[in-house]
Amino acid sequence: MDLTYIWNSLTYFQAEIALSIVFVLLLLLDLFFKKTKYLLPIVSVIGFAVVGYFIFSTPTSDALIFGTRENPNLGMVVVDNFALFFKIIILLSTTFTVLFSISSKEIVGSGEFHGEYYVLLAGMTLGMFIMVSTVDLLLMYLAIEMVSISSYILAGFTRKVSRSSEASLKYIIFGAVASGTMLYGISILYGIAGSTNIYAINAILSYGNVSTLTMVFAGLLIITGLGFKISMAPFHFWTPDVYEGAPITITGLLSVASKAAGFAILIRFLKISFVDVTATNFQSSSWVIFDFFDWTEIIAILSVLTMTLGNLAALWQDNLKRMLAYSSIAHAGYMLMGVVIIDNNGLIAVLIYFFIYLFMNLGAFFVLMLISDKIGSEEMDDFNGLGYKAPLLCVSFTIFLISLTGIPPTAGFIGKLYLFSALIQTNWIWLAVVGVINSVISLYYYVRVVRNMFLKESSTGEVQIPLSWLNVALVIILLAPTLILGIYFQPLVEYAQKSVMILGF
Amino acid sequence: MQLYDIIFYLFALITLASALIVVSSKNIVYSAFSLLFTFFGVAGIYVLLNADFIAVVQLIVYVGGILILIIFGVMLTSKITDVQIKSESIQILPATIAVGIFAGILTASLLKTDWRVAFPASHDQTIFTIGRQLITGYVLPFELAGIVLLIALIGSVMIARKERS
Repeated sequence: MDLTYIWNSLTYFQAEIALSIVFVLLLLLDLFFKKTKYLLPIVSVIGFAVVGYFIFSTPTSDALIFGTRENPNLGMVVVDNFALFFKIIILLSTTFTVLFSISSKEIVGSGEFHGEYYVLLAGMTLGMFIMVSTVDLLLMYLAIEMVSISSYILAGFTRKVSRSSEASLKYIIFGAVASGTMLYGISILYGIAGSTNIYAINAILSYGNVSTLTMVFAGLLIITGLGFKISMAPFHFWTPDVYEGAPITITGLLSVASKAAGFAILIRFLKISFVDVTATNFQSSSWVIFDFFDWTEIIAILSVLTMTLGNLAALWQDNLKRMLAYSSIAHAGYMLMGVVIIDNNGLIAVLIYFFIYLFMNLGAFFVLMLISDKIGSEEMDDFNGLGYKAPLLCVSFTIFLISLTGIPPTAGFIGKLYLFSALIQTNWIWLAVVGVINSVISLYYYVRVVRNMFLKESSTGEVQIPLSWLNVALVIILLAPTLILGIYFQPLVEYAQKSVMILGF
Repeated sequence: MQLYDIIFYLFALITLASALIVVSSKNIVYSAFSLLFTFFGVAGIYVLLNADFIAVVQLIVYVGGILILIIFGVMLTSKITDVQIKSESIQILPATIAVGIFAGILTASLLKTDWRVAFPASHDQTIFTIGRQLITGYVLPFELAGIVLLIALIGSVMIARKERS
């Protein structure tokens, strides 16, 4: 039996194989070297660096791998620049999470499950890698489950804290319902198309003769499942509780990496399945979608709901972790606007936004972690007057928050600029206006933190926040792109333009 | 109506009726036992579809493994009869409306859609084909399922084990 096509597939799959090896290696190391606490994070970082090497060394020629023997070209996994871009984002944020965890009180003080934490992080990363590159509904479901199960456990990692267990349980219940809904949608889609490969589904849909009602129904069910992962309204109810209850390192990871993977899979699914390649005015840069399932209106309404609900709820929060959770819901709404545009400019804007969001959001969570580990609280009032006691942390926190608002000269402004200009070019004026109004609302709650830190009298006594060289270095590494990308962003834009090509379209 | 259809509707009726008891029964032991009939009904439908291997796996894994574990868990949990287990229904009206709409859309799409029908071909044995597919065309999902299960295993051990202090 000729199996060379599987062997050929493996040459495109080196990064994932390396990641699986890191996963098993961490599991074994934890078994034999239980006592040495610093070993696992160091091995994780080295392992992720090796994975990073393989990401770049893998040939990026567009290819579909892991096909069947009868049809080796219709594979389950795609190798393209779009997947590569998201893999970089995911790997960067996971590596940062591991580095954060070294000094996190919650993680280091977690007792004997310290090792499993890093094992699950590696497993979650593997799942997200598959998520961003799969074109098969079966594999899509499997990868999402892989990410979900690891994040359920990681969210409830600090078991002694009751709100952490509560977060984990809520996450499992909501997640199970969302997976079930998505699976139902997948089964209906399979019933229409007779294939789980989304390229094949697209080919069958382009013959027409598909019941509109069924198609919309199946599409909505699948969007529900994916929307849960990116905390899109009205499926965002789990987000504040889970983000507040989970350890801060995991909250950061969920809000960046897991969301990136969800966006990648949503964009790929919508674009490949529902773009009409047979249309006469078909161009690869702007997508013509099937007229029987016009999902742009649906996504536009959902994006408005997501950002408005996120921002309005964030206004009333006194717990900073919860506030950042709502703010991350709002950011998911901004990025959904880019999906609505359905052309490559919109997609470029989403990619740019995500790359910037990675640094500013992780930075905000990291500084919050450092401060709250010391003062033992995440409440807004306990941050009063902290600006003069811990100037480095508070100034960088301010910069991250300003960048999240989108004020120049920070990088957040560039992200929003590309997003809004792409909207205006395609005549989505009302959506752009809603987006701008939302940014203004968000200014209020971000600046409230800054005011508390610098303009209010301290209520507590002396607070000393000693920083190790690693923490200072991490803050600066996160701060640098947040500032530099606000002024010199040309390379990022060019790279995003290169990464926007989704295989086949 | 042919014999085949009658058998199908019989199994479907068993599955649905027992599933209804699973969710609506207030006694958790009754729920666990009626789950047995749900799994059995699904296995019967697999047999009708000529999927002999899947049917056997359904019986061995779900009925033989998971269900027995559930029943043991229910029965061995000390004082389960004393503790008031909450299995009441709340928000009945909104739920009925939501489920009604969902069922309506589902029925409409069921009737209106031109489903792709693959007539169940009769195979001598399906195990050979399944095994071959698992190591060729579906090798990646197969291997990944292994990792997913390993993660779930680690997670359940973490949740269940008592912390030594």
